Amino acid sequence: MSVAISSMPDMNRPLSLLQLNNRISSAIVADSGLRDVWVTAETGDLRVSGGHCYLELIEKDPDTGRPVARLRAVIWASAFARISAEFVASTGQRLVSDIRIMACVNVNFHPVFGLSAVITAVNPEFTCGDLLRRRRLMIERLTAEGIIDMNRTLTWPDVPWRVAVISAKGAAGYGDFITHLYNNPSRLRFHTRLFPAVLQGESAPRSIISALDRIAADDEDFDCVVIIRGGGATGDLASFDDYDLAANVAQFPVPVIVGIGHERDVTILDYVAAVRVKTPTAAAEWLIGKLDAALAKVRDLASEIFRAATSRVSGGLQQLAYCQGLLPSLVLGRVQRSLEALNSSVPDALVHLVGDILRRRRDRLDSAAQLLDALSPQSVLRRGYAICRVDGHAVADASLLTPGAIVTTTLARGSFEARVISDNKQ
Amino acid sequence: MKPVSELSYNQALAELEQILAALRGDDCDVDRLTAMTSRAVELLNHCRSRLTTTDEELRRILDDLQN
Repeated sequence: MSVAISSMPDMNRPLSLLQLNNRISSAIVADSGLRDVWVTAETGDLRVSGGHCYLELIEKDPDTGRPVARLRAVIWASAFARISAEFVASTGQRLVSDIRIMACVNVNFHPVFGLSAVITAVNPEFTCGDLLRRRRLMIERLTAEGIIDMNRTLTWPDVPWRVAVISAKGAAGYGDFITHLYNNPSRLRFHTRLFPAVLQGESAPRSIISALDRIAADDEDFDCVVIIRGGGATGDLASFDDYDLAANVAQFPVPVIVGIGHERDVTILDYVAAVRVKTPTAAAEWLIGKLDAALAKVRDLASEIFRAATSRVSGGLQQLAYCQGLLPSLVLGRVQRSLEALNSSVPDALVHLVGDILRRRRDRLDSAAQLLDALSPQSVLRRGYAICRVDGHAVADASLLTPGAIVTTTLARGSFEARVISDNKQ
Repeated sequence: MKPVSELSYNQALAELEQILAALRGDDCDVDRLTAMTSRAVELLNHCRSRLTTTDEELRRILDDLQN
């Protein structure tokens, strides 16, 4: 055994570990193929400490997702401020874990810390392209599954006043939303309920999905869901580009408003949510606009009903006034006509009638007078008759007379006395 | 007729539209005008109160937010 070992070269002059590591280090430094190399990889385990950024570069098997290569990397503080600012400006998100980057690296080997890649530059365009590619794949999948437009084509209620809010409790964005929503000038009534969730980082999609599940399971009926977080350009947009989250939002039974505070960039949620706004305040504005429209409709109805009722009443009053105006003249006319009728026809008839009666009476009196006249002794006397009286008594029987008796005879005009010579008794 | 308080916002709104149509129609009976108008006012107030909030409510909500 010892013979075998001693036969190996330089066994009697072993290197210290440091000497070995230095040798590795020198070999790496000498290899120009390990300097200023552009490499593409996924980020992982990224953290910032003391201004330096430590991360892992990972390559995964596209089918299984298992790592096939891994390398520790660092961006020194001197470069990190610049790289980070450029990255945020181009991609609209911070440099975080689980995104694909293209980085320019120098491979180093440190005797204590081992192998690592020092990142000297990052190409943000690559990440933008990668995010777009990933999003495009998701959009294709959501489209193929027929769910991409489901939330966007839901019918909004006229008055979406019951609002489920998914936000981080105590977050500035939530406060902005609530304050803005309730301090609206029209005093519109809203009912909001917070379903707290994590809105940052890798756990955001799962946390938001769980909040959506709680909303869906709630007995309370909500008219819409608002997913909001504070504004500002710093964010981890990529975490929202999640297929499961997008599929949940797309299929949610009430409209979803997304306001996750990104000015320029979009996420997959912007393709599936019913409404996309830039900030929590804008989400509140959108809802206020809806209720303001409803309130305006009620106001319009009120004034239209007022007008219709008023015109009904005034129409009725006009009709009444017309009738009222007409009534006296109608009545007076009638009375007038009656009076005229009385003045003309009735008195005439009366006069005639009375006249007739009087005439008839007079005629009757006249005939009676004639009769009386005919029957009066005077008219008899005028016809040649005479009245014979003895001792003042009219004599109607000659046998009552005795010869020598004085008979007073009255004629129509004058009278005379005569003596009875004989009675004509034969 | 259902009491106004039992109507949903949309039901109240639909009834208001009906009243308006009746008021504009030719067969609107003046005897029913008062009843219809007062029903309309009730419905309008119902809708308005559904849409708008009182000072007290508002203060309570904003207080809750701060706590």
